[in-house]
Amino acid sequence: MSKTRDTAKAGGLTRRQLLGSSAALLVGASGTARALSYTDTPEWQPFSNIAATPVDDDADWQFFTPDEAATVEAIVERLIPADDLSVSGKDAGCAVFIDRQLAGLYGDYERRYMHGPFQAGTPQQGDQSPLTPQQRYRLGLASLDDHCRNTQDALFKDLGGEQRDAILAQLESGDIALDDIDSVAFFEIVLQNTMEGFFADPMYGGNRDMVAWKMVGFPGARYDYRDYIERHNEDLAFEPVSIQGRGDWSTPA
Amino acid sequence: MTTRIGFTLLGLAGTSLVALSSSASAASTEYQDIEHGRYLSVVGDCAACHTESDAQPLAGGVSLETPFGTLMAPNITPDAKTGLGDWTFDDFKAAMTEGIGKGGYHLYPAMPYPTYTLMRDEDLRDLWAYLQTVDPVDHEVDANQLPFPFNIRLAMMGWNWLNFEDTDFAPDPDQPDDINRGAYLVEGLGHCGTCHTPRNFMGGEGGDKFSGAVIDNWYAPDITPDAHKGIGGWSEDELVEYLKTGGNRYDFASGPMADEVRHSSQYWTDEDLHAVARYLQSGAGLADDWQAEAAPAALDAENAQVSAGSAIYFDRCAGCHTPDGSGETGMFPQLAGSPVVNGDDPTSLIRVVLAGSRAVATDAKPTAPAMPALGWNLSDDDVANVLTFVRNSWGNAADAVSAEEVAELRATLQDE
Repeated sequence: MSKTRDTAKAGGLTRRQLLGSSAALLVGASGTARALSYTDTPEWQPFSNIAATPVDDDADWQFFTPDEAATVEAIVERLIPADDLSVSGKDAGCAVFIDRQLAGLYGDYERRYMHGPFQAGTPQQGDQSPLTPQQRYRLGLASLDDHCRNTQDALFKDLGGEQRDAILAQLESGDIALDDIDSVAFFEIVLQNTMEGFFADPMYGGNRDMVAWKMVGFPGARYDYRDYIERHNEDLAFEPVSIQGRGDWSTPA
Repeated sequence: MTTRIGFTLLGLAGTSLVALSSSASAASTEYQDIEHGRYLSVVGDCAACHTESDAQPLAGGVSLETPFGTLMAPNITPDAKTGLGDWTFDDFKAAMTEGIGKGGYHLYPAMPYPTYTLMRDEDLRDLWAYLQTVDPVDHEVDANQLPFPFNIRLAMMGWNWLNFEDTDFAPDPDQPDDINRGAYLVEGLGHCGTCHTPRNFMGGEGGDKFSGAVIDNWYAPDITPDAHKGIGGWSEDELVEYLKTGGNRYDFASGPMADEVRHSSQYWTDEDLHAVARYLQSGAGLADDWQAEAAPAALDAENAQVSAGSAIYFDRCAGCHTPDGSGETGMFPQLAGSPVVNGDDPTSLIRVVLAGSRAVATDAKPTAPAMPALGWNLSDDDVANVLTFVRNSWGNAADAVSAEEVAELRATLQDE
């Protein structure tokens, strides 16, 4: 059981329970009426919220083996390289983000229909793979290292930056065929998750110190800017705020 | 089915025999008397304690947590076995005005007889007439669940001697009729002081009338005419709006007051509500030498707690309550100049930030907007700092809130 799942339970319903109970309501209602109607005020409980627990950056890897983690770090370091604008995807915590997501609800596509039939489908029909994200990473990372061993006589993580870039470009274009997984599909999920980790709230492991938000000037988890909406072409100098807050929240020690 | 009707008829016959035998105090069967009695039962909010389930009105069973232990409000339907079926009007009157139950036992003052004692005889009669019309419910309630020694009812003799004065309402000849009507409602059946006046160590009403008190981990705010932390800054219409609809621009009724508005004051006549507002805002019920305390000086914006709190407020609160604390009327309470924000005790403020709160839904304002719980997101320090900021900004001024207070209430509420 992952931390994420336990947390969802402590907060009340898990998403699966919620979906299940909604479905039951719909089924129950369909026999007699086409719509649900509520009277009186909706039920309310103190402390009601589904709060996520921030990931612990220093904890052990939750899904990846240490070798897998090193490979993922070697990938995200090249997808988002350190430059004048920001630190690298590795230093921003993207691998930690992906690891924790794979260990949680996302990892086994708990919320998706994952039973057959599985057919190739057209590009417009989107992802039709029977593989869960956990399986895609496990198979993809192993196949990638197999490929590197065969062609470079080294593991991916031990290659230089430019070599890694070249291999990643070949994965993206489909010029490399991995053994156990479609190389384009593998590249796409890693790129997608890396971007998510880079821009997601820091509480999920990536975007450390709100580095990505500072880079693009995104002010973070605030709600209302009516007082600023008319102030065009002006640096409003907002310090970004995470779901967990920011430095100014604390009194000086 | 037949059998049940037979029993009912038999029961009715029994009741009317009893009624005949004590005809001197027979309950009125006139519609206007009964209807007036029903209105009085709403004003007194009998249902708050005596109705556990809407399916069985006034059949008792609501637990009352007191500092001394648990009491359970009894069944006051006319059921002969488990309710007041064999009581006479005089028995009822003794309970309401002296705290003496049928047979001479002492009621606990969780039953507000110390204020009901002010009720006029004709009102007691109408209330009694109404109670005769309620469906009798067979529902046994064990009222006294107090631990030793508080479970000894006779101890209430001593309590009464120290805390209770058996008086009738005496209108003040120097005051106009509406103020006197307000006094009768506030001091008697409305029993406002039961929550809003601080209790002494025995649970009797202490000094500093209407100056606010903590009950059930909520702060029943100051309802004196103090303009800073009482209701002196509200217009008469704003106070009436609060009682009638459950909220005005500063405040929504929450916690125990939500129950009061839901069951009681939203149904009071406008005349009665205006009388109450005039009486409370005139300060006529307070000591002759009462005057509002001088408002404290607001903490400086450079104060460390205020400064940290301002960042938290901007990030987490300003979206709804707006950066200048003016809120949105009807949806998000105005914090600037809000008396409960300026109140002596921050319990309610800490509570709604930690656990959230849903306002009362009334016929007039059915939306019942809710404040989300922020206890998962804000630490004890954060809550203390943001409340200290709110209590010392935009003209507000009140003591800082400490992280220890927040931690204590957090633990208490999570155990509830």
